[in-house]
Formats: sequence, structure tokens, C-alpha cells
Amino acid sequence: MTATTPTPVIQAGSARTMAWRRRSAAAKDFWREFRQYPSGMTGLVVLAVIIILALLAPVLAPTRMLDLTQLLDSPRYAPPSWSHLFGTDDQGRELWVRMLWGSRVSLVVGFAATAMSMIIGTIIGIAAGHFTGWVGGLLMRIVDFFLVLPSLILAIVLSSVLSRGVMTIVIAIGLTSWAGTARVVRSQTLSVESRDYVERARVLGAGHWHIIIKHLLPAVMPLVLANTTLTVGSAIIAESTLSFLGLGDPSKQSWGTILKNSMDLSAATSGYWWYVLIPGLAILLVVLSFTLVGRVVETIVNPTLRSR
Amino acid sequence: MPDLIFDDVSITYRTSGRNSRGDVAAVKHVSLELPAGGTLGVAGESGSGKSTLAMSVLRLLPRNATLKGSVRIGETDVSDLSFGELRAVRWAEASIIFQGAMHSLNPVHTVGRQILEALELHVTDRWRTEKARKDRVKELMEVVDLPAEKAESYPHELSGGQKQRIMIAMALACEPDIIVADEPTTALDVIVQKQILDMINDLVQEGGISLMMISHDLSVLATACQRIAVMKDGELVEVGDAHQICLDPHQPYTRQLASAFPVIGDPASRMNPISRRERPARPPVDQRHQMTDEVLLEAHGLNVTYRSGRKAVHAVKDVDLTIRSGEILALVGQSGSGKSTLARTVLGLQPADDGSAIQFRGQDLPHRGRALRDFRGQVQMVLQDPSAALNPKLSVYELVAEGLRIQHFDGDEEQRVVESLTEAELIPAGDYLGAIPQELSGGQRQRVVIAGALAIHPEVLVADEPVASLDASVRGEILALLLSLRERLGLSALVITHDLGLAWNIADTVAVMYRGRIVEHGPTEQVLLHPQHEYTRTLLAAAPSIRDQEVA
Amino acid sequence: MSTAVASTVTVGETDEPPRSVPAIKYFLSKLGGSAISMVMVILLGFFAFKLLPGDPVALMARERPMSAEQMDQLRAQLGLSKPMIVQFWDYLVNVFTLNFGNSYVYKQSVASLIGQYFWNTILLTGTSAVIAIALGLWLGQRSAWKHGSWFDRISSGIALVFWSVPTFWLALLLLMVFGGSLQWFPTGGMMSPSPPTGTLDKVLDVASHMVLPVITMVAVVYAQYLMVMRASLIEEMGEDYLTTARAKGLREDKVRTRHAVPNALLPTVTLVFMHIGGLIAGAVTVETVFSWPGLGKLTYDAISGPDLPLLQGTFVVFSAIIIVTNLMADLVYRLLDPRVRTA
Repeated sequence: MTATTPTPVIQAGSARTMAWRRRSAAAKDFWREFRQYPSGMTGLVVLAVIIILALLAPVLAPTRMLDLTQLLDSPRYAPPSWSHLFGTDDQGRELWVRMLWGSRVSLVVGFAATAMSMIIGTIIGIAAGHFTGWVGGLLMRIVDFFLVLPSLILAIVLSSVLSRGVMTIVIAIGLTSWAGTARVVRSQTLSVESRDYVERARVLGAGHWHIIIKHLLPAVMPLVLANTTLTVGSAIIAESTLSFLGLGDPSKQSWGTILKNSMDLSAATSGYWWYVLIPGLAILLVVLSFTLVGRVVETIVNPTLRSR
Repeated sequence: MPDLIFDDVSITYRTSGRNSRGDVAAVKHVSLELPAGGTLGVAGESGSGKSTLAMSVLRLLPRNATLKGSVRIGETDVSDLSFGELRAVRWAEASIIFQGAMHSLNPVHTVGRQILEALELHVTDRWRTEKARKDRVKELMEVVDLPAEKAESYPHELSGGQKQRIMIAMALACEPDIIVADEPTTALDVIVQKQILDMINDLVQEGGISLMMISHDLSVLATACQRIAVMKDGELVEVGDAHQICLDPHQPYTRQLASAFPVIGDPASRMNPISRRERPARPPVDQRHQMTDEVLLEAHGLNVTYRSGRKAVHAVKDVDLTIRSGEILALVGQSGSGKSTLARTVLGLQPADDGSAIQFRGQDLPHRGRALRDFRGQVQMVLQDPSAALNPKLSVYELVAEGLRIQHFDGDEEQRVVESLTEAELIPAGDYLGAIPQELSGGQRQRVVIAGALAIHPEVLVADEPVASLDASVRGEILALLLSLRERLGLSALVITHDLGLAWNIADTVAVMYRGRIVEHGPTEQVLLHPQHEYTRTLLAAAPSIRDQEVA
Repeated sequence: MSTAVASTVTVGETDEPPRSVPAIKYFLSKLGGSAISMVMVILLGFFAFKLLPGDPVALMARERPMSAEQMDQLRAQLGLSKPMIVQFWDYLVNVFTLNFGNSYVYKQSVASLIGQYFWNTILLTGTSAVIAIALGLWLGQRSAWKHGSWFDRISSGIALVFWSVPTFWLALLLLMVFGGSLQWFPTGGMMSPSPPTGTLDKVLDVASHMVLPVITMVAVVYAQYLMVMRASLIEEMGEDYLTTARAKGLREDKVRTRHAVPNALLPTVTLVFMHIGGLIAGAVTVETVFSWPGLGKLTYDAISGPDLPLLQGTFVVFSAIIIVTNLMADLVYRLLDPRVRTA
């Protein structure tokens, strides 16, 4: 490793500015590197478009377009055409309108459940890696347990027992999908914990809090970030699966609910192909985009995976 | 018997980083010759290109490497061979002793099977049948002094020295003309190192095999090779007779490398590590701090047992130790002797067994809370690997100030940071404040670690192998700094090391640790020049020295 | 070698070779771990259903009209009027006697329902798992060895797409293609309405019913195995022992099959079995779409009931299946990795 000349003198008295400046430089580096990956950029652009469309739903498609009482004359099961872009459903609703509104629920659930799962996963992962003795042992046992347990089955149980609603779905997914994150965070924590700079901090007199906040958290954050992007994708799949099984909020549109309707109407075997194809393709597109972005982030933050 | 010839060899790596594209020259225009039956050592620090050169012998370079010039075994140019011909040359004509202690053996196959594999690939009349090959493995195990049943072991079941023996057996398997030994004794203890080196020497001489040995350690090469080549940044610095390279080097760089291996008993290097840096003037003799009689840290009847997996390890046994104000005490021992555990225990990082007493200035060592933090303000530690001891995300300023913040220092933080960096000889301190560790060299990083410890004005510094992970040429600098801290500030130090030369360079007193016990303890001259204990003698005898050339 | 040094051979090699752990001890410790997991499942199976807000009977009555009298009767039947601790005790006794009460939807004991459907699910998921693992590992190691090549890019790209597909949608898609236009394979159930008589014909009949569900599950799951194997082999490719093998003059394909792959398999095995949970979860929707008479279909029926005793039963059984497969994984791991045999 060659030693480059240290960065020029930054006048002392600006320790905080210095840290801030370094962080913004790191963010810029990250972005510069991210832009080198066409797959990640494609994913990012697709996601941006979909998020903007979802935000604009009330403008593009006012709620009255879903009001059944106003749709009495519109054709049922109209295949896609210029006048019915994505076709219509059994009640004459435009599929593109339902898709647009459904995207809001799917994305909100995806993000909220992921946030919940990341927070639980990070806290438990760090604690399991940092604390030795029975606390760490017990937490590790719990993580392993949730890791092998089929999270979907547990989510099904939770959402059948709790009252139906978007919040329930978020909780059911959030509470059952954190173990993967906790595992990654725990192993990263263990590897940081074994590094000498944690030992050095301890010799300097640091307690648990200092070590966790100053050394462990910053070291696991990049991985958590990469994991977040990947988890949003699987949370969206989980949401659609739960909705498909009839555990979603019946009063709200979601991509999973639309597919559930199509299944109830045997759309697949009755020739209403658009009713099946379009919502699924939308899920595929969004999840794939999140996955592509997540993998690029993972590659950048974890150079050992660079060759992937 | 063929010669091995490197003729104007240059090797470049095409790097494929997304940000930086370009070629890195690892070896530049190197010409070397290893006559049949001869021994050649290649010395150099990390990044000198010595391992790349070794790999080129059997064309084992990664795909992104390109070689110019020619590597010839006898009349054959290695780069002209077809892949099939090359495979036939590999191991049958030239073989490699890899650093076996690391990961050169496949963990999921028995070692015997891995030796057998080489025999199966290069069948000769001597081992045409399965049975003959098995017998050959047995024979090889005998040659390297291992019981035959060890062939049934998996690599993880063997100690470092045993694995290295297996690597040697494997290299000898097909009776090659040339053996390349790439850092064959790195990560081994002095005594095992000695055994392995002796074994390689004997085998090479008996079999008339040519040996090319690569090492960062000039003293290792001095014991094994007739000629030594010194490499730096891919270029050949100096080639010559081993005797001349070690004792009368022409190039300043070679001189630095050689100085990292002081001769114990040589008055010139006593309390005087050689440093290439311009050093601040030492204070006049009468103003230098010296060792006093005031006891700072002491341990009585210290026992430490910790659990490793399911079994309890009794690492430290009935140890008594005192560190006086201004004393530099070297605690010498092999890995596994318990010396690091002892250091961690006196720092309060590892609990001692009941009945042990550790006191700092007559007070028992606190175990928790405020008192422990205050104790940490008095006794600080410098760890072995500065690259690992510094959080890569923090700037030098934050790293040095970390201890001050933990200790709730209420003075002028900035001033103290600059002061400490200056004391650690990072001058001018202002230039370094904003740097992050990866922008610094290994020696500079170790200075930052030392500055971080100095910032909270400790009285004792515990240094665990402070130079073991640094390049030989930086070693002297850091040792000189430790010595100078004592002379200028009166700082006491407990230096943990496996390196007797280090003790000779800077220590007032030496304690030798063996299997958890301190077997000998006294002033440096007395312990190193007139050792009383059998083990100390073994240790002194095993340490390779560049003076061995004089005897040979 | 000088005698002085030889006499201190033991000095240098202080580290005793580790002793091997007897197979039985290893098995017992893993069995203990699995038992703890099972206890946690059983606890979860109780508390998830009992402690969460909402009256389970009211919940079950949500979708169908029930008189107050019927609801009281159901409460008594479910033992809800007893104190919690008694309920818990009853539950424990029930679990250990495999008695999960009566299914509200099927009007049948949950245990006998699960007994009928259990092997169908094992047949479906087992077949899918074997195919998915074989396919994923094979493609994964080929991709890794030539990473960056066209083969790698295409196979990884396809895997990523399948990874991003919801299982049930892929099932619907297959149903649409094969149930609508092409009638190559049956699209529902496990046997024809009038099953053939001969044993071989019966087997073929079941096999033809399995084609679509198995394709769906394999497609969704193999991608994960491919990614894991690929990453793990790529990581292994930088290892020094491969250089040793090459230096010995081994051919490149032998370096891969004899040295790299056995090592790359180790981390893969753990993760492969960890993902069995995903396969099981896939069974719920796949069985639903293709009306395969298995535990997944039962779960779906329990949800739409809602039929809490049935749901509780399938939850505990699904979890038990996964815990047992993971126990098997530990045993396989011991066979593959000599380092586990010693501690």
C-alpha cells in the first residue's frame, strides 16, 4: 500500500467541519461509483418514475375513477386498447387506475416494513455481536430461530390474528423479516469487535455506549443500507403474497389484492390475461429494480464482493 | 541439473478497478541466476515484488499479469511451454514450498491425499503403482520427521510447524531439481523456524537441489542461502554474496534492512536502534530520564485462566512482575507462552484468577466504572498492528482526541492533540490532523496510535509486539521513538515481543516467559549475555542471526 | 538438525492437535438446539394466538353469522373461559399428544387432516428442493468459475428475474398458459378425477399433476441457491490452496471439482437449508393456485375460514419440518467439513 501525502492542512478548530466535509466527500465518491453501474442506474430510474407516479396518483386518477356507482356504463373485462390502456376489471374499473393506487400501498408497506425490520435487525444484530456471555448467546439463539422459521407462515399467523389493515401487514412483515439483517449485522459486528481499534477504545477507557455508537454503528451502516434496498423488494413480494392470500386491507387497492381478485374470478383460465399479467409485471419490475440497486450498493460498500 | 535464470524479467498487473485503470509494475527488469545446486535468497519488504517473481517460475501468475523477458529452467523458456508441457514441468522439475501455516493446504482433504495427488500427476517408474505411491508418502513423512499416521490428518489437526513439514514433504515428493520456498517460516515461532530452516538446508544439500528462498527476513536468508538479492519496489537493489549483503552492504536500503536484526552483544546497537529518520537531538545524558526504584505496576502470584471453547486454558501461572517508573521491560516469549494474556491482564482487559494481586501505585486494580476509567488514564496500550488499531473512518485528529473525550478531558483538546502528535514525532502535526489512516504509511500509523495513548498522559505504556507488523526498515524508527519517550518524558514501558534483538535495542530489563511462567528475569545484559535458564538459551540459539554467515 | 534443538521439539509445538468430537456427542448437541427451537415454536404457537388483541371467536365469526349461543359454545370448546395458565397447560398436553382440536372449516380433527395432507406437501416440496438445489448449485459453480463471461451474465440475469417474481404470480402465469391455451399438463389437484388403476399409471398420473407446481417452485427458489453457490465459490477462488493445486500440475477443471467446489459447498449447505423456509412458504401459494391437497392448501383454507385451530396446527407442523431439515443440514455439514468433527 502506498502512502499518499496527507491532505493539506485543515485549520484546526474545525474538527466537526472536517468530519462533515469528509462525509460529504464520501457521499460524492459513492455516487460517482454508483453511476458506473448501468444496472443500478436503470433500477434507480425505474424506481424514481414509479415513485413519482405513485405520488401523483390523486392528480392523474382522481378517486372517483374507482367509484363503482360512477362506472355503471363502462365495459367489463375490456382487453387493453387505446381507450382502456391496461384493460378493465370485472366491475368496469380501469386497471391502470387500480394499479396506480395499488402502487401507493405496495410501496408504503414495502418501505415501512423494511424500516421496522432494519431497526429491529440492527439493534438485535449489534447487541448479539457486542455483548458476550448469556445475553449475546440468547440473542444469537433468537436470531437463528427467526432465521430458519418460515417468515411468511409467521406473518400469516400474525395477520390472521390481528385486525385487517395496512398497519397489520407492516407489522407482520416487519416483525418476521429482520433476522436476515440481524445475521449480517451480527457477523459484521463480530468482525469489527475483533479488530484492534475496538480494543484500543476499551483501553482508552470506553464503555459499551461509546463503542457501539462510535465504532460499531458506523461500521455496520453501509451493510444495513445495502440490505435495506434488498429487503424493500422482498417486503413488497411479501405484501403481495399476504394480500393474495386474502390477508390484506380489503378497503385498499394493492397489487396483491388485484391479483387476489383475478384469482377469485379465475381470470387466468378465463382468458383475461391482462388482469393477471399486468399486476405481476409491475411487482417484478419494482422488485427487480430494488434488487439491482441493492446489489450495486452492496458491491460498493463491501469490496470483497466486488467480483460478483 | 538445470539452472534457473531470470533474464530481464518485468511483470505488470493490469488493474481493473472501476475508478482507476492502469498497469502496476510489480517487477521491473530483474535479472537473476540460480545455478544448479545453488541457493539464492530474495529479500524485500511487502510490495517489493519478490513473491510475484517466485510465482513466475511456474507461470502461476494471475491472469491479469503480463511477463516480459524470460524465465528459463535450463534451456526451456517457461513462457513458451504449452499448457500440457507446463503441467508436466510443474512440481516434477520445480516445486514450491508455500507458506504452509496459512491456507496453502486444502482444508477438506487429508494431507496424505494431497501429497498423493502430486505423485499421481507425475507418475515415474519409482511410484507406478498405488502401493508404491503410498510407500513414497510414508517415506516422505519420515524424511520430514513426522510419524506416518499424520498423513491421515486434516490440515486443521496439525500445528503450524507440522503443516510446514507437510508442505516440504509435498515439495520433495516428485524429486524436483529446483525448490522455490516462499516465506517458508513466516508465522512460525523462532524455535520451530530454526527446525524448519535446518531441515530445508539439510535436504537441499543432501539432494543437491537448487533452492530459491523468498523472505522479508534477512536473517532467515542469511542462515540458508549462499547468495542474496535485495528487492525494493520491483527493482533489484543489490545482489551479492550473503556474507557481503549482511555484513557489508553497499546500498543504504540494504543497510536499513540489515540493521533490523541487531546482533545481541554488539555494544553499538545497545540502547540504540538504528533509524533512517532525522531524529530530534537526544537530551543531554544528565537530563535523560532513567529507570528509578519507584514501583508503578506490580503483580503478585498472578494466575490467569480463560475458557477457549470448552476447555480451560491456564495461560499465566504464578507470575510476579514489577514495572518501575522510567523502566523499559521487555517480556519475551513464543506465541502461546501467555505473554499477551499477561499484558491484557495487567491492563484489566482480562480478569485474573482469585488470589492474584495486581496493584498500581499500591492500589488494587479497579474492575469497573469510574475507577477503571481513571486507571486507564494511567496505563495505556500500543497494539501490534496499527492498521487494525485505527478506525479507518476517523481522521487523525479524532483518533488522537478519542481518549481525551472518553476521559472527559476539560482542557484545550486541540492543543493537546497537536502536542501529542508532536511528541510522537509526526511533525508538523497540522499536516496530519485531517488525514485518515489509509493515507498514512505503516510507521506513521503506529505513531498515531502512540500519540493517542500519549494524549491522556499515561505513566505506563504497554506495547504488544509494537513493530512485528511493520516493515523492517520502519522498525528502528518506532523503537527509537519508544526509547526517546522514556528519555524525554520518563514514560515506563512494558514491551511484549518474540524478538530478542528488540530487547537488546531498548530494554533495561528482560523477563522470559515460557508456558505461562516467567523463567528468567533480570537486567538485559545479564539475561541475554549470560542466560541461566535452559529455555532462554534455546531461544537465543534458535534466533537466526545475520552473523551466522561468519560461522558458516 | 542439532541435538540441542531436537530435544526441545515439544517446546515449539505446544499446540496439541485438537481432539475429535464423537459423532454421538455432536448429534446430541445439535438435537438439543433443535429441541430448544421446537419449544420456542410451541410457545409462539400459543402466545401468538392467545395473547394478541381481539377475541378469537369474534374473529372466527367475522365472516359468517353466528348466534351468541354458538359463540359461547365455541369458546367453551376452545377452552377460552379457563384461566390462561390452565389453557397453556391444556395446550402443551394437546401439542404433545398431537391434538390440535377440531377444524372449524373441515369439521374434522386437525391432527387427522394434517396427517392426510402431510406427505403430499413433502412430496411436492421435497421434489422441488432436490431439483432446485441440483440446478442452482450446478449453474452457480459454472457461473462463478467463469464469472464475467456471457454464460455467467445470462444465468445470473435470469436468476435475478426469477428471484424478483412473486411465487403465486408465476403459478398463475403457468396456469394461464397451460390451463388456457396449451393443455399439456393438468392444472389442478394431485390425481385425475378417475385415477388409473395400475401402480405405474398412478405414479405417472401424480407425476403429471406435479409438473406445473414443481416448475413454479423450482424457478423461484433455484435462483437463491445459484447466487449463494456463485458467491461462495468466487470467494474460494482466491484461496492459496488452489495455487498449490495448480502448482502441482493439476488441470484447471480438476482444480475446480476436486479442490474449489468441495470447499465452496460448505457455506452453501448452511444457507441452502436456511432457505428451505422460503420453499415451504412458496408451498402455501403454489398449492393454493394448483389446488394441490397439501398443508399449504390447508393453511389457505384456514386463513379464509378463519379457522384458528387449523392455522395453529399447520404453523407448528411447518415449523417442525423446517427444524428437522436444519438438523439434517447440520449432520450433512459434519460429513462435508472435517473441521466440524473436531472442536
